Amino acid sequence: MIAILKDFFFFAAQSILHRKMRSWLTVIGVFIGITAVVALISIGLGLNRTIDEQVSQVFGVDTFMLVSGDSFRQRRHNGTAEEYALDLELLRSIEGVKVAAAIRQRTGFVVGPAGPEGKAKQGFLTVMGLSPELMTEFSSFTGPLDVEPGGRLFEPGEIDAAVLGSEIAERLGAAVGDEITIAGDGDTELRMRVVGIMAPPDEAKGSEQGFSMGASGPDADTIYVPYAAMDRLWGDADDVLLTLARVRKGYDVDQVADRVEEELNARGAKLTAVTYSDISDAIGTMTSTVSASLAGIAGIALLVGAVGVMNTMFTSVLERTREIGVMKAVGAKNVHILLIFLIESGMMGLVGGIVGTGLGLGLSAIASAFIGRFFGVHMAVVASPALIVITLAGSFLLGAFAGLWPARRAAKLTPVEALRYE
Amino acid sequence: MPLLDLKGVTKEYRLGKVIVRALRGLDLRIDPGEIVAIMGPSGSGKSTLMHILGALDLPTGGAALIDGQDLKSLKERELVRLRGRRIGFVFQTFNLIQTMTAQRNVELPMIFQGIKRAERARRAAELLEKVGLAERRSHKPNELSGGERQRVAIARALANDPEIILADEPTGNLDSESGAQILGLLQRLSREDGKTVIIVTHDPDAAAIADRIIRLKDGAVIGESAGGDRDP
Repeated sequence: MIAILKDFFFFAAQSILHRKMRSWLTVIGVFIGITAVVALISIGLGLNRTIDEQVSQVFGVDTFMLVSGDSFRQRRHNGTAEEYALDLELLRSIEGVKVAAAIRQRTGFVVGPAGPEGKAKQGFLTVMGLSPELMTEFSSFTGPLDVEPGGRLFEPGEIDAAVLGSEIAERLGAAVGDEITIAGDGDTELRMRVVGIMAPPDEAKGSEQGFSMGASGPDADTIYVPYAAMDRLWGDADDVLLTLARVRKGYDVDQVADRVEEELNARGAKLTAVTYSDISDAIGTMTSTVSASLAGIAGIALLVGAVGVMNTMFTSVLERTREIGVMKAVGAKNVHILLIFLIESGMMGLVGGIVGTGLGLGLSAIASAFIGRFFGVHMAVVASPALIVITLAGSFLLGAFAGLWPARRAAKLTPVEALRYE
Repeated sequence: MPLLDLKGVTKEYRLGKVIVRALRGLDLRIDPGEIVAIMGPSGSGKSTLMHILGALDLPTGGAALIDGQDLKSLKERELVRLRGRRIGFVFQTFNLIQTMTAQRNVELPMIFQGIKRAERARRAAELLEKVGLAERRSHKPNELSGGERQRVAIARALANDPEIILADEPTGNLDSESGAQILGLLQRLSREDGKTVIIVTHDPDAAAIADRIIRLKDGAVIGESAGGDRDP
């Protein structure tokens, strides 16, 4: 049976080459659809991999973050983060955690430095407490924090130092070296020295800031203080926006994240630990849904190609009716005739598949270069062997499937009918 | 026992709304090794008879026996095997596959019998040699003359070494010289190889090589005479 298939492939090739024009037109019908599908899938995969790479660069594969409750899933809908309570020291003590940093945020009553007339400006302002580790360990996460010349960020161990957003500095009339006062719970007050003023956000560099700190990026409208200062002012943290933790070498980030989630939640917290793989999974699901639905639409073109193959095969069966009669007269079984025509239509599908895969990958390379230049990233071109093999096998099957009906009709012809056909 | 034995064979088929009675109780016996010519005007049922003798079609009534076996009792699979192994067809219009070389055309019946490539090629070359076309084996049908095409067709008919050669107007599309060559070939197949040769024809020259001439009219045998048995 295998040997006979080889002969039938030879028959099919001869018959296809014999009708070059028609075969090419049919193949064109097939490869247009396949080109579209391959290009879209390949671009989708490339996009996925690029996003994956970007996420791992910014986020780090050994890092996870804590967000409140289900907000990781909800964030995708409303874009806001909920505040939550956190025992940062407990988190740091959990096995496998190397460093942890958190951001908490409050609205506090702030008094600026005394002005020229001895009158200080004051108001309720957003105060954000940052762990110093955020700057030292998670800079890829926060993006560049630029301070205006003459100033600096606060250093580990410092408590009474503040960095002002550029607008706040203007509103309070404060400069580097001035003192401001922040009022906390009860009678607590803290006099803080202004050590730096944030450079105004640079719109052009917006896309380079990586993941934003909590809900928004470095904000011109916020006062930044050390995390420890927040503890002094407002006590234990119940207003945490975001926590980042990095695991020790040799620990699995997902396992540590699970343990942290378990231990913190056992003490009444409602937190979700989100790792690199959670994020890229979530983004991946989204991009693959989009690319799958696009490829589905391109599949319609494939269907039209298949109808073209069917049409060509019906014509071919009609033209070769006598030939079918002769083959039957010299001993061909019905299944032989069926196979001869199925292989012929399958081969047209396969040739369409080969051309379409080549063109599709080419198209995807061009599109990737274009998208990459547009967004300023290097976009991966994915030509996975699995994609190619599946496409080629699929296009052969598509052709064969389209030829099934005509081939069955050919196989069922009686020899006398077929021989009589003019 | 006759090789082919037709007893009261009738064949009716529908052509649109009309029922055509092509054979109306036909009796015919053909012995192994004979050359039999079947003659008759158009519409006398020659082609239908040919199809039944070649196991391409079954009779509506009566019995058609090959080696004492009724065709009607055979399964489709067995009919296919019969056509493939015991019968060789030669057609008026040659019916070669246009996309294949002479060699491949001769190999075709062997392909369907699952004969190995090397054996097939050897035998096809031998048969083309036998019909005098050894030089033309890699030509396609449209590069061959009518006579050459019919000789390829005869080589194809011989591919699986059948006992019966059925030739339907084998000289109908040929000039008299090519026709004579073909008839000579068919005659040799009977005389030298012991094949049973049945020729359906209008051509008196074709009839002349036959041992017996059967005359048909309106789907029945109306007469039989001895053939000329002379060299064409």
